Amino acid sequence: MAYVAIADRDHHLHDPDTFITKYIWSQDHKVIAIQYGVVAIGVGLVALALSLLMRLQIGFPDVFPFMTPYNYYQFVTTHGMIMVIYLLTALFLGGFGNYLIPLMCGARDMVFPYMNMLSFWVYLLSVIVLIASFFVPGGATGAGWTLYPPQAVLEGTPGSDWGIVLMLVSLAIFIVAFTMGGLNYVTTVLQARCRGMTLMRMPLSVWGIFVATILGLLAFPALFVAAIMMVLDRLIGTSFFMPALLSLGETTATTGGSPILFQHLFWFFGHPEVYIVALPAFGIVSDLLSTHARKNIFGYRMMIWAIVAIGALSFVVWAHHMYVSGMNPYFGFFFATTTLIIAVPTAIKVYNWVLTLWRGDIHFTLPMLWATGFIFTFIHGGLTGLFLGNVTVDLPLSDTYFVIGHFHMVMGVSPVMVLFGAIYHWFPKITGRMANDVLGKIHFWMTFLGTYAIYLPMHYLGILGMPRRYYDYGQTDFIPESALGVNQGITIAAIVVATAQLIFLVNVAYSLWKGKRADPNPWRATTLEWQTPDTPPKHGNWGPKLPEVHRWAYDYSVPGDEEDFIPQNHPIKPGEESLRNAGVSRE
Amino acid sequence: MMTGLAIGLVLGVTVWWILIQRLKDKPWERQGLIEGSQDGLTSSAPKVGLWVFMAMVTSLFLIFNGAYLMRMGFGHGELLGWAPVDEPGILWLNTFVLVGASGTMQAAAGAARKGDLGALRTWFTAGGALSVVFLAGQLLAWQQLAATGQYGVGDPAFSFFILLTAVHGLHLLGGLVVLGRTAARVWRGLDTENIAAVGKVRQTVRLCTTYWHFLLLVWLGLFTQLSIT
Repeated sequence: MAYVAIADRDHHLHDPDTFITKYIWSQDHKVIAIQYGVVAIGVGLVALALSLLMRLQIGFPDVFPFMTPYNYYQFVTTHGMIMVIYLLTALFLGGFGNYLIPLMCGARDMVFPYMNMLSFWVYLLSVIVLIASFFVPGGATGAGWTLYPPQAVLEGTPGSDWGIVLMLVSLAIFIVAFTMGGLNYVTTVLQARCRGMTLMRMPLSVWGIFVATILGLLAFPALFVAAIMMVLDRLIGTSFFMPALLSLGETTATTGGSPILFQHLFWFFGHPEVYIVALPAFGIVSDLLSTHARKNIFGYRMMIWAIVAIGALSFVVWAHHMYVSGMNPYFGFFFATTTLIIAVPTAIKVYNWVLTLWRGDIHFTLPMLWATGFIFTFIHGGLTGLFLGNVTVDLPLSDTYFVIGHFHMVMGVSPVMVLFGAIYHWFPKITGRMANDVLGKIHFWMTFLGTYAIYLPMHYLGILGMPRRYYDYGQTDFIPESALGVNQGITIAAIVVATAQLIFLVNVAYSLWKGKRADPNPWRATTLEWQTPDTPPKHGNWGPKLPEVHRWAYDYSVPGDEEDFIPQNHPIKPGEESLRNAGVSRE
Repeated sequence: MMTGLAIGLVLGVTVWWILIQRLKDKPWERQGLIEGSQDGLTSSAPKVGLWVFMAMVTSLFLIFNGAYLMRMGFGHGELLGWAPVDEPGILWLNTFVLVGASGTMQAAAGAARKGDLGALRTWFTAGGALSVVFLAGQLLAWQQLAATGQYGVGDPAFSFFILLTAVHGLHLLGGLVVLGRTAARVWRGLDTENIAAVGKVRQTVRLCTTYWHFLLLVWLGLFTQLSIT
């Protein structure tokens, strides 16, 4: 054979030869994925602990002397920021994006491995800067995760001296890290797919990660701009966002800055961010459902169009976070309309997941449990989103626990359901061992039921009018005694759910050490990552020759075939075409 | 804002049209190896990477543009403390220098294509030098503005002027790092027998040229906006 594909020629370019280049300064996408995953989960545990501390205060006010209002606001802020950006974005894109894109597309690695490595180390730096903000004078910022000026930089807000600066700098560093990773993900999908892998044969996981990365590359600049301008406002006294105001009885030097401008910038990033987290989850859950229901995904093309449409629409809904900020009423009308429109492709996806399950050969494996759990929590959180998307309903519910219940359900619990499903699903490929089933099921049921015990009552509290972000509710007429009882219940449920996450950690540790050895393809899946010559895949992934793809990713239960799945790299068998058509006409 | 929206709309429609062409395949019907599909890593990956990066930078500057217009109150910003900056004349000179840099880079790309190593060295180095002159000119413009004593950090128009020119300059500086590394390799001498090395230099020169044209466009847009507001 005279012609050798480029990927087959130069895969020895960055072969690791020492411990350091293999596990630390590694350019291998699989190692980088695990590094991203470990750091993201580690910092996520910090955020989980912070949420427990703030729940202790809300459930049992005045019982814990270490919970001062100052600490409370710092914990609220850091919890939110870590969960949305440093955990979810980093784990879905840096973790699963890194692991899955090259393996699912049939590539040896990302196209710019050195930049990929830098991406992780810069991400780690952003995490260190963020955590360091707890240890500077004044401590971490307590401005709320949206960091609205002017209060974020004014004296009196926790962390207004150095905490806010470190938070903004950390975000800017994170965006640099994301850019380096993101260029890799997009370019690898576009330029390094193996022979036969057309865009329309890619698994939906890759589609979700791909489109989410494009959203990130276009939306993160808004946060970057906002962060830089606020740092300048804070450090050298520019007035981009800072208006003329009285602070602690004194007039500030700033004039005419626009706090609303910051809100526009923040949410122009913030709303696409929701989908930067959600689209990879949508993609991955589609693959989990299809694989474990032994059925092709319902409406593959429609799923992709929906992902693309949601991605495009996500840039024109941002101001629905700002209905109470004061806008031209026609703007409210416009953004309410676009918000309702974006529900259409989202609903199409939900129907398609349910129809994939319909009459499928459902195996309630661990990944499948989490995937079905996701459908419940996502429908739940999605429907309350329709309430909040309407201006007139949003006004009374804004800044209440209803909002907390809504967004935790839709972009907290739901993506986390998918993350756990994905971890249990790919655990055998990543580690070569099966995760423990019993521990995993206990983990699932405690988490699934527990999160309902936490967030369902919050909707009720919100309709009562209970405001969010308050440290203490004191004596108020509209909040009955029973609401305080509900808050205690929520706190106890939160402690139970947090404990369940320890079971997950135990499971990972135990399974790594003593788990059952995994087959190369334990779930009998069709996608390429399960067809690697080694499990876990070695550097370069594919041995001497890249795979070739002959079919789409969803050939499950093909009529007439003796197996209930045909991997993507299996050539067409003689007579398969006619069997397939016979199957279609029988339906 | 309107220009930004219009550019966004045109880009959106174009991307949508391209996508629709690509996304109407029915993969469950089309079986077997599809001829003409790519075969592993392509050599144009760095080019695609650069274009993706430029898309992101475009987004960055459009968002800065939106923030700028909003902060100046869409032309009614007197109440918001918006006092237009009187741009120093040296910016015109800088603009010509950057046009020159872009032109010499184009010449360098032409020399690389023809394999004329001597011309490549000259043009490529000249492009880098002109870019450094441009950056120095921008610093001079800052200095001239500061020397008038009319502007303070609290002036939003002045802050924006410094911020936007700085962000543009930093992007050019990033390009200069790549250019410097490649120029050093070209000056050290290139083994013309080594096809891979020559190909790599040729590609980097071409990508630098694209990036310089892009930064020139960004600057022209920026300069126009700063001048008319």
